[in-house]
Amino acid sequence: MSSGERLVVVGSGMATTRLVEQLVAHGVARRSRVTVLGDEPHAPYNRILLSAVLEGTHPEQALTLRDPGWYAGAGVALRLGTRVLSLDTARRDVMLVDGEVVPYDRLVLATGALPTLPPIRGLVRPDGRLHPRVHAFRGLDDCRRLLAALPGARRAVVVGGGLLGLQVTRALAVRGLETELVEGGEHLLRSQVGAPAGAVLARALRRLGTTVYTGTRATRLTDEGLRLDTGYTLETDLVVLTAGGRPSTALARAAGLEVRRGVVVDEHLRTSDPHVHAVGDCAQHGEVASGLVPPAWEQAEALAAHLAGTGATYTGSRSVARLRATGLDVAVLGDPERAAGEGGEVVEVTNPVAGTHRRLVVRDGVVVAAAFVGDLTRIGLVTQYFDRSVRLAAHEPGALLVGERTAPPARLADTTEICACAGVSAGAVRGCSSLEEVRATTRATTGCGGCAPAVRELLASRPALTP
Amino acid sequence: MTDTHCPYCSLQCGMRLVRRGRDLEVEARPDFEVNEGALCRKGWTATGLRGHRERLTSPLVRDRATGELRTASWEEALDLVASRMTAVQEEHGRDAVAVFGGGGLTNEKAYALGKFARVALGTSQVDYNGRWCMSSAASAANQALGLDRGLPFPLADVEQTDLLVLVGSNLAETMPPAARHLDRLRARGGHVVVVDPRRTATAERADTVLQPVPGTDLALALGLLHLVVAAGAVDEEYLAARTTGFEAVRREVAAWWPERVERVTGVAAEELRALAGRLATAPRVMVLTARGAEQHSQGTATVLAWINLALALGMPGTAHAGWGCLTGQGNGQGGREHGQKADQLPGYRMIDDPSARAHVAAVWGVDPDDLPGPGRSAFELLERLGTDDGSRALLVMGSNIVVSAPDATRITARLEALDLLVVADVVMSETAALADVVLPVTQWAEETGTMTNLEGRVLLREQAVAPPPGVRSDLEVLAGLAARLGSPSHFATDPAEVFAELGRASAGGRADYAGITHERIRGGQGVFWPCPSREHPGTPRMFAEEFATPDGRARCVAVTHRGAAEQPCADYPLHLTTGRVLAQYQSGAQTRRIRDLPDTGPFVELHPMLATRLGAHDGDRVVVATRRGELEAPARITDAIRPDTVFVPFHWVGANRLTNAALDPDSRMPEFKVCAAAVRT
Repeated sequence: MSSGERLVVVGSGMATTRLVEQLVAHGVARRSRVTVLGDEPHAPYNRILLSAVLEGTHPEQALTLRDPGWYAGAGVALRLGTRVLSLDTARRDVMLVDGEVVPYDRLVLATGALPTLPPIRGLVRPDGRLHPRVHAFRGLDDCRRLLAALPGARRAVVVGGGLLGLQVTRALAVRGLETELVEGGEHLLRSQVGAPAGAVLARALRRLGTTVYTGTRATRLTDEGLRLDTGYTLETDLVVLTAGGRPSTALARAAGLEVRRGVVVDEHLRTSDPHVHAVGDCAQHGEVASGLVPPAWEQAEALAAHLAGTGATYTGSRSVARLRATGLDVAVLGDPERAAGEGGEVVEVTNPVAGTHRRLVVRDGVVVAAAFVGDLTRIGLVTQYFDRSVRLAAHEPGALLVGERTAPPARLADTTEICACAGVSAGAVRGCSSLEEVRATTRATTGCGGCAPAVRELLASRPALTP
Repeated sequence: MTDTHCPYCSLQCGMRLVRRGRDLEVEARPDFEVNEGALCRKGWTATGLRGHRERLTSPLVRDRATGELRTASWEEALDLVASRMTAVQEEHGRDAVAVFGGGGLTNEKAYALGKFARVALGTSQVDYNGRWCMSSAASAANQALGLDRGLPFPLADVEQTDLLVLVGSNLAETMPPAARHLDRLRARGGHVVVVDPRRTATAERADTVLQPVPGTDLALALGLLHLVVAAGAVDEEYLAARTTGFEAVRREVAAWWPERVERVTGVAAEELRALAGRLATAPRVMVLTARGAEQHSQGTATVLAWINLALALGMPGTAHAGWGCLTGQGNGQGGREHGQKADQLPGYRMIDDPSARAHVAAVWGVDPDDLPGPGRSAFELLERLGTDDGSRALLVMGSNIVVSAPDATRITARLEALDLLVVADVVMSETAALADVVLPVTQWAEETGTMTNLEGRVLLREQAVAPPPGVRSDLEVLAGLAARLGSPSHFATDPAEVFAELGRASAGGRADYAGITHERIRGGQGVFWPCPSREHPGTPRMFAEEFATPDGRARCVAVTHRGAAEQPCADYPLHLTTGRVLAQYQSGAQTRRIRDLPDTGPFVELHPMLATRLGAHDGDRVVVATRRGELEAPARITDAIRPDTVFVPFHWVGANRLTNAALDPDSRMPEFKVCAAAVRT
């Protein structure tokens, strides 16, 4: 961007926060005029942690990522509670709901995603508002409203068995509610994992006290409760909708930008209009509109670098989805179902008895996708291999899935070094009759003292002298 | 019989030297409280370098005709050095002569060396190998606490804390007698945490071990603070009363939730949560960082992040808690306080501070305006040697640059490009072997001088034996050169006299030694600085009332994780990290020549999964390659290391041909502890 140019960002979510941080780091924020238009009234916050706020393991006031004062100090105009009504790419401006027109030289759409409303009758009342017992779970206001409803509630039904649904279900259960989960697909987490993993997960959730209905759709909300297509009605005080989201593209579509699932962008996060970029949940790069934070941040970083003139490009992200929910361990790397379908070799261990499922999808020795449920002991290492495309040998995927081998303690050989400080072998210790002798003749135990237990053990295991 | 201290690490264990005929033997000195008589094998065998056949006893001068070093008289050697330094300066300016010191030099030598550079040579180009040791911790401590004393409390305080977090320290190998404190802490019911990519001898003595990807300790600290904030365990009262800047830190860590940290560090979110739970509930928490956390291009930020954690928990300045740095070299602490650092004058005064310049210039009897300004940091000084932009002559004292500099092949070429290289040493080190003039100097036990150990405790190392004929002390070398260079200030050669002058120069500075004399600390427990007067008892514990900042409050400095300068790629898919082994010290110039210390040579630690991938068996020779060089050494297969990381000890030539010299923007510390590497069989 040239000096003095106007950069307007629509949206104040996590992608925008990252974008502005990087614009500041690159010096772009200082030499151009950056304005952020956010429709939420809150200072930019960490949406990832909303389910932890619901659960009570993260305080709401610790969600804020950057205070308005930080933006001001960085020379960025942050306008909260500001909704954009329309975009005119010919005139290069946006109009706000109050009629104000904000011109730009470059525009970034970071409008995020909107929750999908499942086709359940009775969710929306004739006045267009949600039924008082129904809650979406997307933003901080949703989270606050749901928290406010908890004191009078005893039972909750969560509609949608994806990552967010599982997190919300666990959060409500941790809060002491009786929870039930309804998933229309055949198993939980169906867009991420296969049936065996989904089954292990459902079992784990049931063990934690949640009733799980899969392959079942909710059809109608009545005064009696939530009616399922099985004919069964779940009595409930709360219904939480977590049935996924879709890119928020209305502004782009109305302005005539190319939109498919999301706003289509190229390797410079540029839309079909060269003066308009899009990042985060609203954007679609290639076939992917991910809805996860790490790709949104990588896009924001690439865009900031591009705007700074570094020639950076965005070529796609590796996604790592991690469930944040007490008592449930889930990690999904890449797209294991698709990778397996595309000819990746599958190495997996399922142990329903222990409640674990681990699957690696390997192509040419590289872990291209993985799913872990119930056992994350090797997750740190596997993620490193996945992120860095490390080429493994044939034995390694298997070795990564079996636990660490524990060798039985062996009798120490006489040559084994017992005391590193003084360089004393087990044999030398065995040659002594007492700790005093060991200290005097070998100096073992007189340095760091770490060998004292081993020395005592060696002395104690000396064969008794026979008369 | 002489009560003195070990010649090696920053613990400076007390020991007794006893003459038996021609031999000098080491005996325990149980009355000295730091080590209570304990020593590691390096200490027990410390006298082994005496009378070694490789000991240098005559100056050597490189013969221009043959290119060989030949013996020379002291007069000839010093005349030659002085005249050539003068000629270089006349042609290329004052800064064309540079000085390079070491963290093993006594306070007296470090002081005299800095003074020599500023006064006798008038050059700004002086720095030392401590820049490659704890400079990131020093930079962080100065920013956060207003003062850099490695440990602001006696080491034994470790035993009294409840939760000890060691970040990148392998003290059970690098300073073994210190490990006794871990055992005693655990015996009391305390909990020890070790953060290290390798499950080291120290980790074996811990309750909790985290093995992060090298170069990610910063992200780990951010993640822990995120959880501490989430748990409501932040000591708000302490932060309000004793710190500034925490709100920005709180915002920064809001973006470091455990699963993100897991992806960056390779440490499972559950392990992070478990440790954060302990941090949130332990009454007293002590965090100690060492080279593993500090020797990075984001080393200062990493230390700041761990200090922020300690501050958030309300620990620094309270009893048996807080943050400290485990300094490495014998006089790593004192060596950085008295003027051999490019930007500092004695007493930890900053060279760009007019009042500091006036004070020190008065002690030296020179005009403050004649003192040069700040010079270049160690690596920057070395990488420009012999270029139009750099110095053309170099005096090295107490450092073996060829072995210990990062990207060593490049730096060795710079040394070779010099017009004049002068090295003062005890033996023919790899660096001395390149010199135009080698000056044989006295070593430990042949000379007296003070050392300041990792606790800031000033100790007296006593002369126990006469030096061999033909060698001179470093102080005599500097005095001899200063006289020949027409120095406007006198250079004393008696260590007690030099120390008294150092005391005056440091008076009123942050590291104030004015109240300490050789006599006062002879045979005793030493005195902790600051000690401004003879009557002052010294300062074992700091920050109880206030921090050393202008407003007395600690600074919480918001930092974020960028990652190592060099990340693994298809050609170099592994992380390489380096470190020490118990039986060797630094470049090994001393220890490799001691018969009773096993000299294994370098080796390459590989995890069994990686070894199988490479087809390497234990003991096979393998080649470690980076963008800068290669090293061939036997494989050592151990499951104590991360499968994506290899380890090479740095005591032998070669390890630092591999390392990356990406510098920390604040401390100018090179990134010794991580770079991208490949291993071939």
